[in-house]
Amino acid sequence: MELRRRISPYILPFFVSLVYLALYAPIIVLIVFSFNKNPLSFKWHGFTFEWYRELFSSVEIVQALKNSLIVAFSSVFLSITMALFYVFYGTSSFLHRLMLLFYGSLIAPEIVLAVCLLSIFTFFSIPLGITTLIVGHTLIGLAYVVPIIKTRYQEMDYRLIEASMDLGATESQTFYKIVIPILSPAIISAALLVLIVSLDDFLISFFCAGASTLTLPMYIFSEVRSGATPVVNALSTLLLVVSTLLILILTSLKLRTRIF
Amino acid sequence: MRNNSFKSSRAQEYDFAVALPAVLWQILFLYVPLCFIIYISFIKAIDFFIFKNITLANYKALFNPIYFSIIIRSIFLAFFNALFCLFLGYPVAYFLALRAKRFKNMLLFLLILPFWTNFLVQAYAWFFILDYHGFLNKVLLKIGIISTPLHILNTPWAIYIVMLFCYLPFMVLPIYSSMTKINKYILEASSDLGATNWQTLGYVTLPLSLSGIRTGFFLVLIPSFGEFVIPALLGGGKIMYVGSMISYFFLETKNVFLGSAFTVLSGACLIAIALLIYLVFRKLSKPSGFTGATGPSIKTNNSAKLSQGNK
Repeated sequence: MELRRRISPYILPFFVSLVYLALYAPIIVLIVFSFNKNPLSFKWHGFTFEWYRELFSSVEIVQALKNSLIVAFSSVFLSITMALFYVFYGTSSFLHRLMLLFYGSLIAPEIVLAVCLLSIFTFFSIPLGITTLIVGHTLIGLAYVVPIIKTRYQEMDYRLIEASMDLGATESQTFYKIVIPILSPAIISAALLVLIVSLDDFLISFFCAGASTLTLPMYIFSEVRSGATPVVNALSTLLLVVSTLLILILTSLKLRTRIF
Repeated sequence: MRNNSFKSSRAQEYDFAVALPAVLWQILFLYVPLCFIIYISFIKAIDFFIFKNITLANYKALFNPIYFSIIIRSIFLAFFNALFCLFLGYPVAYFLALRAKRFKNMLLFLLILPFWTNFLVQAYAWFFILDYHGFLNKVLLKIGIISTPLHILNTPWAIYIVMLFCYLPFMVLPIYSSMTKINKYILEASSDLGATNWQTLGYVTLPLSLSGIRTGFFLVLIPSFGEFVIPALLGGGKIMYVGSMISYFFLETKNVFLGSAFTVLSGACLIAIALLIYLVFRKLSKPSGFTGATGPSIKTNNSAKLSQGNK
């Protein structure tokens, strides 16, 4: 009984630390082994940067990186632009009541979205490639961006817009000079989120990219399936570092955005 | 809310036109394709929207124990994954929300991080742990729990373990946020009135965090039903789940008609299961018995008033 009372305050912290260990052990091992000299063994054979060097000398990976970046930045640009116009100009018509539409792509399992997109592309015989990837990622991006920007726009002091209009600014001047600067924290955080989501997305890319286009997660998947190579460890580590950095930026900017 | 009656109709048309693309994008690339999938699941060959050759042949072809077992296996996976996540995640959320003092923000950050990092990479990282020569076997051998290494990779065990830890943050974060909203005075009152920690947990904390549990349960259940990556990588691709079957239909056999029918069928099953679980949660959240007599919402109000009164 005495022993039980003494250890009972430590049971919960112990349990929680075990869970955290299980969450992070695989990732830490992956990162450590991306520097391992002998990649195919589970023993440590010495430190090397070789796999990272190989990473940037592979034409396929560099091309995949380019594709990933093109898709990510295009979908960020598209979803932010459309969301801003929707939020600011949508208030004067019934469109602002259609907010629920944007949650659909968050609720449905991702594979359903992927299959839907694929079927519509094949039906209209749109060639699969970068464009179709951008379409898919923008679809997901909008689901994140519109609620964030809409919430912040509604919290914004509406008198500022009225003042701007009273002082003779046109609606578009108000939009560019008042609304966008005030919403810029929300815009930045939404853009970072879409960037992360797009860079990490695998399933939609897998279905909508076609045979010739490859993004980084797709490259990892195909390599892992056909037997992992040490380069994949390095690439995975790099992707982890990039998303961690983006999340760090997001949380350190104190953008007041709920990211979960 | 915002008065736009001063606008000319021309200006209103302009507003409508520039606000439209976002909505159109969703309709065109999500809702139209969804209807389209449902439509082609009822036909045998595309005949440009002539509704004459509607048939149930695709669904008849799916009337096969193989496909049913795949759907049932996925439902099992989704449900038990959500349940295991709840068992593992609830104590973590409880600790973070109500017990942790130092390191709280760091622990929270460490939980948000996997939420946003690459799912594929997280799944891949488990290879190092679960492999025949991997770390889990090494550790277990050293402790002496097992005498020969376990074959975990390419079995359902691997799928369940990896799914559990990949989806855990989806469960913990909603529960955490619902727990932080619990008024601390209620918990104090409960222990002042003589309840043990376990009683407080069961009668106060648990009912008040039910909304978070519900959110977390669905956040885990729905994506794990269609999960494709983890079974494909760590299950060795031999055990079929809904996700792998859909991708097989669409990407390998290119039988879009059968594939659409299968997608629609499994989607309907998912909706049915989700609805069932929703009803269970609604039944649970209805005050009854002991908790009903001291209804949670009444408590919150009283205690909020009380705390204001004290100040």
